[in-house]
Amino acid sequence: MTVIEHLEEYAGLPVHEFEASAERLPDPETVAWRIGEGRQGTWRDALIALLDSVDAGRIEAIVVGRYGNGDSDDHPGKVLAEVADRLPALRSLFLGEMTMEESEISWIVHGDITPLLKAFPKLERLDVRGSDSLVFEPFASESLRTLRFESGGLPVGIVRAVIASDLPNLEHLDLWLGEEEYGGDVRGDDLIGLLSGERLPALRHLGLENSEIQDEIAAEVAEAPVVVRLESLSLAMGVLTDAGGEALLFGQTLTHLKSLDLHRTFLSDEMAASFRRRLPGVEINLDDRKDAEAHGLYVAVSE
Amino acid sequence: MSFVVIGYPGDRRVTLFADACRAAGLAEPQVIGWPDVLRGSFTLPAGVPVRIDSPGEDPEADALLRGDVAPTRTGGGARWYEGFVAGLGRIADAARDADAPLLNDPDEIAVMFDKRLCHARLSAAGVPVPPVLTGVDGYAALRARMAEANEHRVFVKPAHGSSASGVIALEVAPGGTGDRIKAVTSAVRRADGFHNSLRVRTYRTEEEVAALVDALAPDGLHVERWMPKAALDGRVLDLRVVVVGGVPTHAVVRTSTVPMTNLHLGGQRGDLGAVRAALGEDGWRKAMDVCARAAACFPRSLMVGVDLLLGIGWRRYAIGEVNAFGDLLPNLPGLPDGPAAGVDAYTAQVRAALSALSGSHA
Repeated sequence: MTVIEHLEEYAGLPVHEFEASAERLPDPETVAWRIGEGRQGTWRDALIALLDSVDAGRIEAIVVGRYGNGDSDDHPGKVLAEVADRLPALRSLFLGEMTMEESEISWIVHGDITPLLKAFPKLERLDVRGSDSLVFEPFASESLRTLRFESGGLPVGIVRAVIASDLPNLEHLDLWLGEEEYGGDVRGDDLIGLLSGERLPALRHLGLENSEIQDEIAAEVAEAPVVVRLESLSLAMGVLTDAGGEALLFGQTLTHLKSLDLHRTFLSDEMAASFRRRLPGVEINLDDRKDAEAHGLYVAVSE
Repeated sequence: MSFVVIGYPGDRRVTLFADACRAAGLAEPQVIGWPDVLRGSFTLPAGVPVRIDSPGEDPEADALLRGDVAPTRTGGGARWYEGFVAGLGRIADAARDADAPLLNDPDEIAVMFDKRLCHARLSAAGVPVPPVLTGVDGYAALRARMAEANEHRVFVKPAHGSSASGVIALEVAPGGTGDRIKAVTSAVRRADGFHNSLRVRTYRTEEEVAALVDALAPDGLHVERWMPKAALDGRVLDLRVVVVGGVPTHAVVRTSTVPMTNLHLGGQRGDLGAVRAALGEDGWRKAMDVCARAAACFPRSLMVGVDLLLGIGWRRYAIGEVNAFGDLLPNLPGLPDGPAAGVDAYTAQVRAALSALSGSHA
């Protein structure tokens, strides 16, 4: 199981796949432009074709699709940083929006995105799928509202860089932690700096998802000071069993949450019923629960 | 009026066609087994139309075609094909001698059972197909051709395989943390070589992948780009479209969580309505047109089963394969807006055959 469908909507805009041969193109600010490498030419060529085809100064959202991993000079993050002056209105960016049929998530190579973050100080939303070779230095942004890392194995360096960054207005943070086999080496205590609530004063949504140590994560979250400020919490997609469910349920109160996402877990029917009974005012997603005996214990997205 | 069927007596394919004949008020078809064809010990009745069907899993035919090897063993396709084509030739000769019309054409069947020839014929006709890598005679050549073409994901298929036998979904990457390779296939390695299995496996070492490719290569390989497939509800999908008399009559969605969608490898039927909705009416018409154009490359075959690949994004189509015996879709009613609405693919063929033959055999 892994990511299998393209986004149809991103940052509140319909995703539009850019094709250089198209006769009519939408107004630049009305869509999220999906840019994938063509059969001829590199990803850079595809981006330049878009910039030359529309009033690029009005583009607000870009979804980076398929690109070759070969030449790091052509990695989209690097290319975008180079042409940042042509994209003054860019506010939302998704890097590596590829499905399993295009690239295994653990095979999507990014490189250092520090220049990208510096080049787009007004970026309000950044999503990154895949984390091979992904690094960035801690950065400061007053604009960034949403930050998401989708990974089959998130390196602890990414978590540390997020915690060390200065993001006073970040409201939404998702981290897919993944499996150790695919580079996910985050342990519960690596998250202390995040869960303390001292950083990220504006945080309203926290997702710590897709983890093979989801029970341990749940136990940390159950005690975490940051939770009181959240409106929504997700511990979905990982190996969350009744042990983690119990820790969460009998930790600090969660009744203030608007929503709690626990989809694709290994919680039993009894535990699911306990959540519903104890959190009657919270919208809880308990869909797609797996049976460990039938399926084994594994995260939703790994390779 | 009746038919002769060349197939595996008692097999579902044969009984389903016989059911359709009976339902149309026709006499029971006479069935000739493939072993008799392969031994040359058969005759065709004068003037009776002949339907050539699959040797299927007839163990006797399989032994004659493949020799003394385990039926699950991958490879041996070249020998199988040689014997099969010889049998087709005998059928053509016998039909000529008996002045018996053929519902499907031996030469066209031979092309469909060679994925390289089939791909070339479709491509020459301008039917969309995934780009092919030619000249692959082993693993080293495969990687060299992939590098030249800048292809990182390909399907490697035995030229004469069926039912995903020996098919490898291969991906390689010059990744940030070293070269990577992943091959998904139903072939399993045993002491005496690779065998087909009902489970899809993943090989992650170059040694294993090279051994498999090199084991399959002597029987001929067809290599084409892995076109990223569209997906619904977390499962990738493609379509099997039966085209009868040039018109798409039946379609099923085949969905899977692995690169192969074959039902025996865990594929499931999907929701055709949802696929039509995702394609839009215009897209659906274009998709069916592509299938009809693929079938038109085999004009002397009453029926072909077309595997239609739908690219992610729902705007790209390509033909994966054209199957001479691709009509085993029991109880599937025809497309509601087609000429076989409500009836199965066998009934559709009986009707179309009667209509086509009515001029000379009324």
